[in-house]
Amino acid sequence: MKMKAAIEIESLSKTFRSRGGNDVEAVSLLNLTVEAGQVFGFLGSNGAGKTTTIKMACGLVQPTTGTVRLNGYDVLKQRGQAMRQIGAVLEGTRNVYWRMNAWQNLLYFGRIKGISSSGLLKARAEQLLRELDLWERRKDPVGEFSRGMQQKVAIAAALIADPPIVLLDEPTLGLDVHASRTVQEWIVQLAKERGKTVVLTTHQLDMAENLCDQVAIMSHGKLLAHRPTAELLDLFRREFYQVRLRGVVDMEKNGVFPGFAASQENGHTVLSGEVGDDMSVFDLVERARTAGMDLISVSPGEPNLEEIFVELIERAEETVGQDGGLERKAGHRPAGVRSRG
Amino acid sequence: MMATGTVLLNECQKRLIIMWSYRFNFMLETFMIGFLFVGISFFVSGGRPTPEQMAPALLGYLTWFYAVFAISDMSQGIREETQTGTLEQMYMSPLPSGLLLAGRSVASLFISTGMVALVGGILMLALGIRIPVRLAGAPVFALTLAGLYGFAFFMGGATLVFKQVNALGNLLTNMLLFLNGSFLTVERMPGWLEGFARSLPSTQGIDVLRSVVLDNLSLASVWHDGSLMWLTAHTAFFLLAGWGAFLWGERVARKRGLLGQY
Repeated sequence: MKMKAAIEIESLSKTFRSRGGNDVEAVSLLNLTVEAGQVFGFLGSNGAGKTTTIKMACGLVQPTTGTVRLNGYDVLKQRGQAMRQIGAVLEGTRNVYWRMNAWQNLLYFGRIKGISSSGLLKARAEQLLRELDLWERRKDPVGEFSRGMQQKVAIAAALIADPPIVLLDEPTLGLDVHASRTVQEWIVQLAKERGKTVVLTTHQLDMAENLCDQVAIMSHGKLLAHRPTAELLDLFRREFYQVRLRGVVDMEKNGVFPGFAASQENGHTVLSGEVGDDMSVFDLVERARTAGMDLISVSPGEPNLEEIFVELIERAEETVGQDGGLERKAGHRPAGVRSRG
Repeated sequence: MMATGTVLLNECQKRLIIMWSYRFNFMLETFMIGFLFVGISFFVSGGRPTPEQMAPALLGYLTWFYAVFAISDMSQGIREETQTGTLEQMYMSPLPSGLLLAGRSVASLFISTGMVALVGGILMLALGIRIPVRLAGAPVFALTLAGLYGFAFFMGGATLVFKQVNALGNLLTNMLLFLNGSFLTVERMPGWLEGFARSLPSTQGIDVLRSVVLDNLSLASVWHDGSLMWLTAHTAFFLLAGWGAFLWGERVARKRGLLGQY
């Protein structure tokens, strides 16, 4: 069944002009669809273009080309309607007034988000503050709160108008383990129990792996991968293999498994690595047999999102300036990671 | 209409809450502004200020006080909100940014009126200064303030693009104090300086305001002598140019991604 699209990004580009007069392409012809009710992870190194994309979705940065639609509303042409679809917590800033208390902040942001009914606004503010365990301290200035509590107030302010889409740019940055866990639990709750679409940018890849239904990986303004998290992990699981050989084998001499990392374990040799584009795992097994190696087992490895991220970024770094990224190298497959023989 | 009222009240409430959290600083600032008036009057009058001499000066001085508030709110205020990220949150509102800006200006106007009433009242009582309340002064005062806010919008637009424009705002507000004719009427300035002083926001307004409020001239007479007409044109220019500059600043800030950069 085809899911409803919450965010549709088409041919989105943003070029900034630096002070030296050079053009810097922060986002390049990005095409992306985020389905409604999902937790979507937007991953990439610093300067990959994530925040610029998020800000274009929020109407804060004007795209050079392309469009962003939020629940069908064009951010540039139908700004008012589009803004009613989102709440956002942006990275590196307070997002709320620290001189005001939590209650005052929620009422203020509720009104500028267009909630005109005072009763509805107060009920919503109370509900959010109670859910986030802030009700008892609602009258304390936000500046006196811990970092975690301040972030909760910012998230509550983003949710005050009950928007269907929530954009969270590094929501757990600078939080302690407990506060980070609370925010993560809430993200899951927002998507699974309330049907909200949560777009998350983070450098904490273990968090993205645990929370996100889909992930997109960006580098140098380009999309490297966009897949359901499980599918991405599975794809790399098939690419990564662990080969166990009886006895200690000098891998440098025989060269049967190029690029595989070797280690010794209980008198056996354990090799971990990726099967190249030009051969299959069966070819490797055949080679090992031909070389007279005593093969115990060959099993798919268990890569995590961090390993996949590093792998993709490294590949992208290698191809920068050549053809503009792996998506293009892989034959312009919008949802593909890489082509396999 | 409903949204407009809500936005105006919302902004006023926010400003009052934040101002209350800085109440000690505000008390000191209020005292300093009162003290500054007494000090400057003392020096300008050669050590013997009289209530009659101080009345026109106070009228100009209180108008300058509005300018300080309006310019600081639009330049320093926007810069601070850029740093805290609340400006970006404001721009994510479904309401038009012009309405939010107007709400911000009205909130600034209300609060500065309260402060002016407080400072002005204390100075008038303490120094025996008498400024008559004349209805004819209201439209002149409104035109003067509109021009000032036009200039403040200009500063706001510039702040969105050039984050370091704050220092220019401070320089201009200090220049206004000495060049808007509060303590030294523009007629007594050298010709080249008089021209420049008259081009500044509030100078012409203070001049006409004195004629109407203190010299008891009618609106018709200040219109016929051209001073009110010049004030109207001056205000229209500052309002239109200021609003245009703010819209330009917004457009450039969105294009360059400056709403969250400082």
